[in-house]
Amino acid sequence: MAKTKKIIGSIISHIFLAILVVIWLIPILWLVVTAFSGYPGINKAHFFPTSWSLDNFKKIFLHPDSVVQYMTWFKNTLVIAIFTCIISTIFVLMVSYAFSCMRFKGRKKIMTFSLILNMFPGVLSMIAVYFVMKSIGLTNSHLGMIIVYSAGSGLGYLIVKGFMDTIPASLREAAKVEGASEFTIFLKVVIPLCKPIIVYQIISSFLIPWGDFVLAKLMLNSGISSDWTVAIGLYNMLNRSLVNNYFSVFCAGGLLVSIPISILFIIMQKYYVEGVTGGSVKG
Amino acid sequence: MKKRFLALAMATTLVAGCLTGCGKDDNDSKDSKDSTAATETQKSDSDSDTTQASSGTNSDAVSNLIAATDGTVSLTVWASEEDQVFTQGLIDEFAKQYPDVTFDIKLGACSEADAKDTVLTDIEAAADVFTFADDQMNELVNAGALQEVASTYTYDVKAETLAGAVEAASMNGKLYAYPMTADNGYFLYYDSSVFSESDVESLDKMLEVADAAGKQVAMEVSGAWYNYSFFKGAGYDVTLNDDGVTNSCTWNADGATDVAQAIIDIGKSSAFLNAGDADIVTGITEGKIAAAVSGTWNADTIKAAWGDGYAATKLPTYTVAGKQVQMASFSGYKLVGVNSHSKNVGWAMILAEFLTNEENQIARFNARSLGPANAKAAASSDVQSNPAIAALAKQADYAVPQRVGGNYWEPANTLGLTLISGNPDGTDLQTLLDNAVEGITAPVQ
Amino acid sequence: MREKKSNPLKYFADFGKAVVKGDAGVKCSLLFMGAGYTFKGQWLKGIFVTLIEIAFIIMCIFYAAPNLAKFGTLGTVQREAVFDPLTMQQTVNDYDNSFLILLNSIIALFLIVCFILFYIYNIKAVYELQQQKKFGKHIDSNKETVKSIIGKKFHITLLTLPAIGVVLMNVIPIFVLIAIAFTNYDQNHMPPNSLLDWVGFSNFKKLFTEGMGNYFGYAFRKILGWTLTWAVLATLTTFIGGILLAMLINKKTTKLPKMWRSLFIVAIAVPQFVTLLLVRNFFGDQGIVNTICSNIGLTDWLKHIGLVSAHLNYIPFLTDPHWAKFMIVIINIWVGIPYQMLIATGVLMNIPTDQLESARIDGASKWKIFWKITMPYVLFIQGPALITDFVKNINNFNVIYLLTQDVYITPDQALANANAKEVDLLVTWLFRLTNEYYNYKMASVIGIIVFIICAVFTIISFSKLIAGDREEEYQ
Repeated sequence: MAKTKKIIGSIISHIFLAILVVIWLIPILWLVVTAFSGYPGINKAHFFPTSWSLDNFKKIFLHPDSVVQYMTWFKNTLVIAIFTCIISTIFVLMVSYAFSCMRFKGRKKIMTFSLILNMFPGVLSMIAVYFVMKSIGLTNSHLGMIIVYSAGSGLGYLIVKGFMDTIPASLREAAKVEGASEFTIFLKVVIPLCKPIIVYQIISSFLIPWGDFVLAKLMLNSGISSDWTVAIGLYNMLNRSLVNNYFSVFCAGGLLVSIPISILFIIMQKYYVEGVTGGSVKG
Repeated sequence: MKKRFLALAMATTLVAGCLTGCGKDDNDSKDSKDSTAATETQKSDSDSDTTQASSGTNSDAVSNLIAATDGTVSLTVWASEEDQVFTQGLIDEFAKQYPDVTFDIKLGACSEADAKDTVLTDIEAAADVFTFADDQMNELVNAGALQEVASTYTYDVKAETLAGAVEAASMNGKLYAYPMTADNGYFLYYDSSVFSESDVESLDKMLEVADAAGKQVAMEVSGAWYNYSFFKGAGYDVTLNDDGVTNSCTWNADGATDVAQAIIDIGKSSAFLNAGDADIVTGITEGKIAAAVSGTWNADTIKAAWGDGYAATKLPTYTVAGKQVQMASFSGYKLVGVNSHSKNVGWAMILAEFLTNEENQIARFNARSLGPANAKAAASSDVQSNPAIAALAKQADYAVPQRVGGNYWEPANTLGLTLISGNPDGTDLQTLLDNAVEGITAPVQ
Repeated sequence: MREKKSNPLKYFADFGKAVVKGDAGVKCSLLFMGAGYTFKGQWLKGIFVTLIEIAFIIMCIFYAAPNLAKFGTLGTVQREAVFDPLTMQQTVNDYDNSFLILLNSIIALFLIVCFILFYIYNIKAVYELQQQKKFGKHIDSNKETVKSIIGKKFHITLLTLPAIGVVLMNVIPIFVLIAIAFTNYDQNHMPPNSLLDWVGFSNFKKLFTEGMGNYFGYAFRKILGWTLTWAVLATLTTFIGGILLAMLINKKTTKLPKMWRSLFIVAIAVPQFVTLLLVRNFFGDQGIVNTICSNIGLTDWLKHIGLVSAHLNYIPFLTDPHWAKFMIVIINIWVGIPYQMLIATGVLMNIPTDQLESARIDGASKWKIFWKITMPYVLFIQGPALITDFVKNINNFNVIYLLTQDVYITPDQALANANAKEVDLLVTWLFRLTNEYYNYKMASVIGIIVFIICAVFTIISFSKLIAGDREEEYQ
């Protein structure tokens, strides 16, 4: 009896899960089918397009026009994302090590101060950031974008620091006894132990340039569309004069961005879960 | 603050120098130009200059400019995404026209509808020449982003352009931009297989016919840009004050409640649909909407949907307190502006003129079906046979340039929404209008 | 480990003591900052410090002085351009750009303050060196000084670059924002063509008062209320939903947990602005969901029970104030749960199994185990993160802006008069004020308020985490 009950319970929970997945994937499915739609505008009345075609992808890959320069944008975003994620990850590791493994005067004050600063939403200070970057001549450049995305990343140390807190101090002490400098300990002892959290950090900082359109639009304001990132380019397609001709291309573009990110996420899932919780679980 | 007037100290000798310089050959004028450059901070008497030069065109100045130019002239042009290919063609041609000068002209994409947002965030970083919709005129002028068209060189903008377009490109009697197209307003699209030509004369009749046919008539009444039609049509106006930022509004004057009631009545009809642009296009392609108030930007899609039934005309009349009132509208023009912070103002102005001259407006119509603002080009039979542009021309009698300050939009959106939803809270109509007018006329806080 | 409570008086007293009791080296350091080190043989450090001093003086003369001189007035010369139609040349006067004066002055002030702190620190350090020598303690050689940057002083090495970045991207912009709140930077006063002026607290007054054609006070009150409600709702719903989903997937009877998890992850892998804009069209007044709802009769039923007003023939998912708020929370659940699920998965994996086992043996019901063991544990672990999420939701720009921009029109005239909407958060209101109305002064005031709110919550949540000794527990 108990066994059948269990089986029934399991079936119910599986059905329930399946329903949830369907709910979660309906918009994504709409994205996919619209990407293959033959109608370029927003198909508001039907879920599935009335005609199917590969035109949107052809446009993206083979016939870029002034509105759709997807491959260029993709390349730009990829470059920005790679450098952003390298710099941010290094910054975060540096800050976390200093806060977690070293003891110095004013440490806690700086930590609290950084946390508060980190809570400050970027939207508020965008315009000032823009003029700071302009005064050093870095607007409309990808280097500028990399700096904007990664310069303040040190503030997001909390999770990584939490993870580092779980590394036993004895390991570091032992290395010190052997005459290792802090630098060596950082590089040879602590970093290798931080693998999951580094993966987490890499993923999260890698994703920033793909999703940001507000700051990017402000910083890359020369109107030269070959300088844009994917996010600005796609967002631009929703302009009143374009949306009725480019909505399905927008969907195709959105779909193409999400494929590499999904794969990244799914592969790194284990590390992501370990990393993000490792810090908070033990620290 | 007083000091700024000191900066206006004018060197009259400089003017004299320039005037004589222009009469001579290239070499001499170059010298005089050099002296101008040397005295950067000095001021010339602008008033006397403009009055002299603005009458007619001045081609000597162009040769002066060519002579005075050495090195590469770098310019940035912003045109809308759809216009990139066409504009690039014009730019290449422009460079060919002046073989003695090396140009480096970059073309960027910036939609006319929100050029203002990008330009005003940082005027100095904006393009030297940019296209924009005329509704952004006052804000751009106010922020000092536009170079006044004090003088023309290759064609006389004021004389050759439609009067309405010149008005739309002017503020306080000064011309600030070069009209490029005259097709950015709204009018009525209808499916002639549903409505006859006499049906579309009045909105009441249209709703009746549509109801019988099981179709809908759509307009974005909850949009301030469109619901202006009703009030202005009945004689209640909203205008920009002299400060260029705040509004005056008479929408709460005596009898305006009748207009409000009229909108409520229209909203009650099941054949009427208050819908935004995207919804209208969808409704039309789905075959639900048989008539809609919209603009030329949707012409191709609508034409494809209705085929032979595709037709357009001026806005209909509607009933206010038992009387038929013609709906007014905002006229819409796309303009080319020169950035007042441009480093090559002279060349930017000549390029702007080139982009908007008669020949190129005709070319633009042929390539992109954009209605010309040039009077001759607009009068051509080709242009007149385009239903959408012809409808705009018909509506032009009831259209006024859009001169409203930023505080107009949100209160008027809300008013339109409240009325078209049938005033769900049952607020006294006069109070409703008073509140809206208070918001519309509020000072910038 | 022990951190002394610092006393500002003592800070300056120490400095005074150093100056008074210092030897020639200390005294010379007052003028040439590196002198003290050089006298004691640390010439490398001496040169380095003196170079900083020289750089600072150059900065003061060429950068700080000209800008700070105008800081009080924010410039007096308005831009005047004169175009000569005959030569087609434009002459522009040497005008003041108020905004740049403001920005540069703030950077300059920041540098000056940093330098003063450094200066005081330097004198004290030199004095300490003197004391060390006096008592015959070891003095670092040049080589040892260099070595310390990867040893004892490694934290300085580590923090310098990130700190510069933070100053550039966060600190200076925040100060600029604060300064703008005290100016009249709005549509009537837009640099570079017009000048700004200081206006004192009048912008703050505007935000906290009502009446007399001023709707900002009203709008602020309403929006603040919704911002906080939203933050609570958004945080709790996604948090609890995430835990429940994670538990469902982690159940021993659930087959292929990894596959289920991956399916949910796909939903968050698409950039948020893409999915949110899609969903917005999905739920549009004439959108697909409405088409389906009216086909299956749901619209009529909702009309019947009064949830949709009678004159509508669609469900105003994102256009009616109440529906829109409801939908935003629902859509946010859709967006947020996969993330929370991932995190909760990790937390649940680490739940002490012995406790669960003993509870099970005691015959506790599943429900009881969840509320008595699982939830307290998760809350204990995730407590601080919960508050971080709360603060993040206060500033959740994307969800609100993308779902309501261009779609939602407020039916409340008073809100419309302040360019606000019922569904706005403080951040989105602020963004639209700057982006659409160029009302930087009010936006800055709102920004400061948001910052204060966030700072308070952050301090509350983390004072425990940082001040407590939790971080030492595992080391």
